[in-house]
Amino acid sequence: MAFLMYGDPKVKYLCSCGSMKPISRIYFCRHCMKIKCGFCVSHEVDLHYCSNCLENLPSTEARLKKNRCGYCFDCPSCQISLNTRAVSQAVPNPDDPSKMLSKKSYYLVCAFCRWTSREASIPDQNVANGGWPEIDCPNSKRVAELVDHYQEISLQEKDEEERKKKYQVRPSYFHYAEKYGLSAALAKKRMGGTPQRETRTQQSALVPAVASEEVEELSDSVFIEQLELNKVTTIKQRLASPEIQPTVVSQLYPLHKSLLVKRSLRCRDCEHNVSKPEFNPSSTKFKIQLSAFYHVPDVKFLTCEPVFIGKRSELIITVCNPTQHQSSFKMHPFELNLGAKGSGDAEESAPGLKLCLPECARDAQFKINGTIKLPTTEFQLLPRDDTAEFDDSNKGPTFNDDPKVVVWRRGNKIALRMAVSPDADAEGVLSIGFVIEYSYVNTMTTLEKKEPQKVKLKTHILLRPGPIFKSSQ
Amino acid sequence: MNSLTMLYEGRNLISEKPVVVIDIGRAYTKCGFAGESAPRCIIPSEFLCKSTGASKKVFDYETRDQLYQNFVEFGHILFFKYLLVTPKDRKVVIVESLLNPSLERDTLAQVLFSYYELSSVCMVPSHMVSLYTLAVPTALVLDIGYKEAVLIPVVENTPVLHAYQALALAGEAVELNLRKLLESQCKEEEQFYLKAKPLPNSTVEDIKVRGCFVTKLDRAQMIQASVKEPSVSAPTPPPDLPYPLGGDRSITIPGTSRELAYEVLFELDNDLMSIATMILDAILKCPLDTRVSLAENILLIGGTSMALGLKSRLQQELLDLLVTPQYIKKLALKKFCFHNPPAKENYVAWLGGAIMGATNSIVKRSVTREDYSKVPKIPDWADLSFNCNDGVKRG
Ligand SMILES: Nc1ncnc2c1ncn2[C@@H]1O[C@H](COP(=O)(O)OP(=O)(O)OP(=O)(O)O)[C@@H](O)[C@H]1O
Ligand SMILES: [Mg+2]
Ligand SMILES: [Zn+2]
Ligand SMILES: [Zn+2]
Ligand SMILES: [Zn+2]
Ligand SMILES: [Zn+2]
Repeated sequence: MAFLMYGDPKVKYLCSCGSMKPISRIYFCRHCMKIKCGFCVSHEVDLHYCSNCLENLPSTEARLKKNRCGYCFDCPSCQISLNTRAVSQAVPNPDDPSKMLSKKSYYLVCAFCRWTSREASIPDQNVANGGWPEIDCPNSKRVAELVDHYQEISLQEKDEEERKKKYQVRPSYFHYAEKYGLSAALAKKRMGGTPQRETRTQQSALVPAVASEEVEELSDSVFIEQLELNKVTTIKQRLASPEIQPTVVSQLYPLHKSLLVKRSLRCRDCEHNVSKPEFNPSSTKFKIQLSAFYHVPDVKFLTCEPVFIGKRSELIITVCNPTQHQSSFKMHPFELNLGAKGSGDAEESAPGLKLCLPECARDAQFKINGTIKLPTTEFQLLPRDDTAEFDDSNKGPTFNDDPKVVVWRRGNKIALRMAVSPDADAEGVLSIGFVIEYSYVNTMTTLEKKEPQKVKLKTHILLRPGPIFKSSQ
Repeated sequence: MNSLTMLYEGRNLISEKPVVVIDIGRAYTKCGFAGESAPRCIIPSEFLCKSTGASKKVFDYETRDQLYQNFVEFGHILFFKYLLVTPKDRKVVIVESLLNPSLERDTLAQVLFSYYELSSVCMVPSHMVSLYTLAVPTALVLDIGYKEAVLIPVVENTPVLHAYQALALAGEAVELNLRKLLESQCKEEEQFYLKAKPLPNSTVEDIKVRGCFVTKLDRAQMIQASVKEPSVSAPTPPPDLPYPLGGDRSITIPGTSRELAYEVLFELDNDLMSIATMILDAILKCPLDTRVSLAENILLIGGTSMALGLKSRLQQELLDLLVTPQYIKKLALKKFCFHNPPAKENYVAWLGGAIMGATNSIVKRSVTREDYSKVPKIPDWADLSFNCNDGVKRG
């Protein structure tokens, strides 16, 4: 049950990757004409922005600033945004000392936990934004030296290898280590001869670290003094600045606010976007949003009689055509084997690279424990017409529907009645499924296909109408 | 920022996509970019489970498929919440433990290549790569993290595999011990409350990190003696610590609990094994002429080794054990020296990966997407051809 959503929706669609999701959480790639979901699309960082000042940063700038906003800060104590507070002070006018001037200065304050930049002994600033002193990174110089050192070694080794390829020189002592293990490597070293010696002359003069016998003693004060808990930082506060990891509250320093990203989602089969956000960080709109909601018939659960073992219950669902084109659909029995293994189109990728949905996620979703009697006729659905709702004249076309099956019709929507019954050994929630085959008009035009194409598509749908009761007394 | 850093960071900019460096620990994940001096984030190795709404640990799994899903979910957090880069076509360095089961490394590799479509993956053993932070060829590396303390001596850049030591003596063991201590040493009404409603792990960790410390050897010995021999009096315990539990509840952490929580790491109970004996036993398994240099090049890594007083206690223990019958005839050592890498202990291994990841040697050590598509396997790190053919070997 682990992979069922909470507030488990009663209707789920089978994605081309094998997972089952409610229609609100799936996409429809108009190029492949397949259902895609958050799991099987490729996620990309589209834009970086600060959630506080809503500035958006080009990705190179975001990288330069280490994904942090230059102006906004988070509280190092509780990690919410800090505010800038201004105070006015009366200072003597330098031109006329007899007069006083009002001078503004600024400090940072947390509205939630009351932490202020004054607690970190940061002097107040004369300008409202920026200018806050940056904290030094104590180790960056040494790390840069180490990187240079090892980079030099690795480049040298590359040269050597290339030379070796040319001249077939005698093996170096690494080969001893490789072939004969540690003792041989040590023996060789003791003999003093490593062929690399001479080539190392131009190596940078990095001083290797020296271990020390002196270690920090535990101060005796811990045995005597009362520990003030609120002066000691929590592990979360420490880890929020990995390089410093302050242990006492007075060392906490304002944290440049982390940027957030908006993602775009790309179909892995055709590389087209199925979702791309608008560039404006404050907008919640999308440039592209191929939600299945606008393309795939929307099946909704309406009612179901209580489900008893050994009894048939009446189920009513609605099917809605969300497109601008007339559509028809037919229902077929659920084909269990279809889509139950891995990505729908695995043929092109190598075995190790296949995107696979974990087995456990599939199992829980594919436990069909009942039967559904499906209507055999084809149903027509009108296109979506947003104005129809306000139009009571009801002058739409009439359909020759079987009243035993069709409960009602309203615009582009139809309600269908079906009988369901659980298997004899079923328990828990009734799970049934069917395939809906529908006509879809693809308005995407390509070079070869200039006209909109009308195609038949199939989608697997899983229904969970309700709990199964044991007896019908 | 000093000029060197500027220089370096300037160069990092040129390479189009900085290499991503990840160390997924049992408790905390360190994650950032190669060439930088600290990880961008150190976050709990857990994510919000969509089905239950509760947080789930990355390594909490029963089947490979669950682990696959866990890595996928956690990867989204790393790439889109912290690193803020598109994973596709990027190079990554994974710092991993020697004891990492192959199921975990294979599953991780599969997620990185098939789900995140990285261009290359370089898996480096944490103990070996930690030496990149020192530029020395020989060191005894002891990682005291969350699940286990793992020790591997490295001599002339070659891991002495047969000398490795691993014991479940790390952060988790300390927290379990602290829990037990609290349940037996708190005031009676508080004991009752603690048993009825056990403290969440995060609270126990917080009490451990903020309130506990590693006591001195002489005090520890006096306390032990006083337990066995009622005539010996225990030293005066440190002050109790009032600890708020949220709401209007609070408990008083007894001074004795604060002092004894870390003692599990040093107790020589039945099996006679502690983090100190691990070091001596490992040295004993190394060639005679490497022993002094190992004892004088100890590198402690992992978050638990940051505990207040741990290093000096470990040193005292080592010196004390040297003259016990178990070791006196076997080890002729005089001193133990500890390294101070340019990093906090809990991200030393990450930093090693970040230094290596900024050099050309990752090209040679990486498995590319193309390699992987032919043979979906990451070579085992114990395979010496992978480990020995490397510039670091020369130090
Ligand atoms: N400053 C500190 N003082 C004491 N303990 C600390 C400190 N910082 C971290 N820890 C503890 O260290 C442990 C985490 O260390 P680390 O990050 O090295 O583990 P990990 O890599 O997640 O675990 P493992 O290596 O076992 O997979 C936690 O138990 C944490 O409580
Ligand atoms: Mg670790
Ligand atoms: Zn999918
Ligand atoms: Zn901002
Ligand atoms: Zn705050
Ligand atoms: Zn597509």
